[in-house]
Amino acid sequence: MIQVQGLSKSFGKVRAVQEVSFSAPDGEITGLLGPNGAGKSTTLRMLYTLLKPDGGVAKVDGFDVTESPIEVQKQIGVLADARGLYPRLTSRENIRYYGRLHGLEGEALEKQINSLLTLLDMQLIADRKTEGFSTGERLKVAIARALVHDPKNVLLDEPTNGLDVMSTRAMRQFVLRLREEGKCVLFTSHIMQEVAALCNQIVIISQGKVSANGTPEELRKQTGKETLEDAFVVAIGSEEGLG
Amino acid sequence: MLDSLRDTRSWMTGFFWALFGPLLIGGMILMLGNMFKENAKEPLHLPVSGAEHAPNLIQFLEQQDVIIEPAPSDPQAAVIAGDINVALIIPENYGEGFSAGETANVQLIFDSTRQSASVDIDRAEDTIRSYSSYIGVLRLSLRGVSPEVIRVIQIEEVDTATPQSQALIFLSMLPYFIIFAIFNGASPVITDATAGERERGSLEPLLINPLPRGWFVIGKLISAMPFAIMTLIITLGGFAAIFQILPIEELLGIRIGFDISTLLAIFLVCLPIVFIACALQTLIASYVKTTKEAGAYLPFVGLIPALPGMALAFLPVKPALWMMLIPTFGQQILINQFLRAEPISRMNIFISALVTIIVSSIITFIAVKLYEGERIITGK
Repeated sequence: MIQVQGLSKSFGKVRAVQEVSFSAPDGEITGLLGPNGAGKSTTLRMLYTLLKPDGGVAKVDGFDVTESPIEVQKQIGVLADARGLYPRLTSRENIRYYGRLHGLEGEALEKQINSLLTLLDMQLIADRKTEGFSTGERLKVAIARALVHDPKNVLLDEPTNGLDVMSTRAMRQFVLRLREEGKCVLFTSHIMQEVAALCNQIVIISQGKVSANGTPEELRKQTGKETLEDAFVVAIGSEEGLG
Repeated sequence: MLDSLRDTRSWMTGFFWALFGPLLIGGMILMLGNMFKENAKEPLHLPVSGAEHAPNLIQFLEQQDVIIEPAPSDPQAAVIAGDINVALIIPENYGEGFSAGETANVQLIFDSTRQSASVDIDRAEDTIRSYSSYIGVLRLSLRGVSPEVIRVIQIEEVDTATPQSQALIFLSMLPYFIIFAIFNGASPVITDATAGERERGSLEPLLINPLPRGWFVIGKLISAMPFAIMTLIITLGGFAAIFQILPIEELLGIRIGFDISTLLAIFLVCLPIVFIACALQTLIASYVKTTKEAGAYLPFVGLIPALPGMALAFLPVKPALWMMLIPTFGQQILINQFLRAEPISRMNIFISALVTIIVSSIITFIAVKLYEGERIITGK
């Protein structure tokens, strides 16, 4: 469960995020949709505690991101915009390292790693060094390590960026699966179709502000448009950045 | 807790530096030693042109252990080319002037800027001078004048510099190499773990893990330390090996205290330096934007603490307490003392270690603060 109320952040004179509010309940997929540079990643970065908000409140399972960042970090699994791996470690070692940083050890950790490797269909690359992995393979490792502690809230920043069609499909299946498990999934995307296909709730962000918020159905009604694409265009006020 | 299992790669360069120091010093000692040896024993080879004009002079030179060789056709060019160090030219009219009791001219050709030739030049000049004054004394005596007349002042030279003390200059550079090696051993690992992680994009996900930021910094620091310690051991081992292989006593005529207990003492004295080297470099590498930038700064970081040691080589100082308060400088003095087997104050060792550790802790604290800020993520 993620609640965001009046969140703001500026970098110098650039007001990257202004008064953003929404909530992402458990067992649902919430999509942050918006053109590039709209403030999606900044919002997410504040949620996963790497940036401190200038104003507003963000809570994950009731823990405030500024007051108790470490508690928040325990509740979330994050696929960040930067998804670098340790190239000289194998997939398994990369995941294990994160597991240990989360305080997991021994049998339980190994079991969890194995189930993630199976779930993400990574057995073949499990014991190879990650140097030279394809984008899709790297992404799998990054997701596995983000979920190694079985977090209740999953934050994904542009999860399908740079993936081919098959990998994108697999990724979507995976996100849906997370919802079935009752997790709170929050992801950002600039691709409208993707958001439309997956999300229970869509938060459209443009120029740092929430310009529309609701289920796909509600969005169409709010904007008076037939298709979600048109609704999106109306919501962001231009055709700029449409994926 | 934070076991960064980052594997091998660029620390080979660090190890290269570690071995570079001992090899360089070894080379210098070898050269220096050979110079002394030549100085003392080797006969001087002197190419002479026109030897037939001055048979007496040539005979005198030969008596003085000078081996006369025929000069090349163009002695000046040969000196310039570096084929010979010095050449003597005796002109045809030498005999006329000599017999008339006048000053006879000879020409000595050399290049005064060539260091390696200076021994030969000096010997050639000295030998000819002593022949000149020998004949002069004879001529004066023939005319019934006491040779004392032209010897107004007799300078008695008391030079306290021995070849050994020259050799000690090189020995004083040893701490410099040790400290430089420590810094260099740690820097690839640190660069990789800070600036490198940001560049690869693995820093951001790493910091999302639920641990206080300080742990990440300390983890990176600790993971660099074994490499710095490794380099230190290799450097010391290298020096020990060089001193074992080279007959130091024979070459320089001094004993260098470099047995196991000295090695161990130097190793222990250097441990605080490992800490400060890692802390300082972590701070800088966290502050810069890219590994490239880090690569540009870090070699100088290693150089700065080592500089006092360089100065030490040329301006020997007496160890004082205030010097122990300067991290790395104190240790350099201590290493020097160990090498010369001088008595060492335990107090100095303790204070220098304590101050270094305190300063390192402060630097680490600043690095932690840096990691707590947003700049570490945005890189701006």
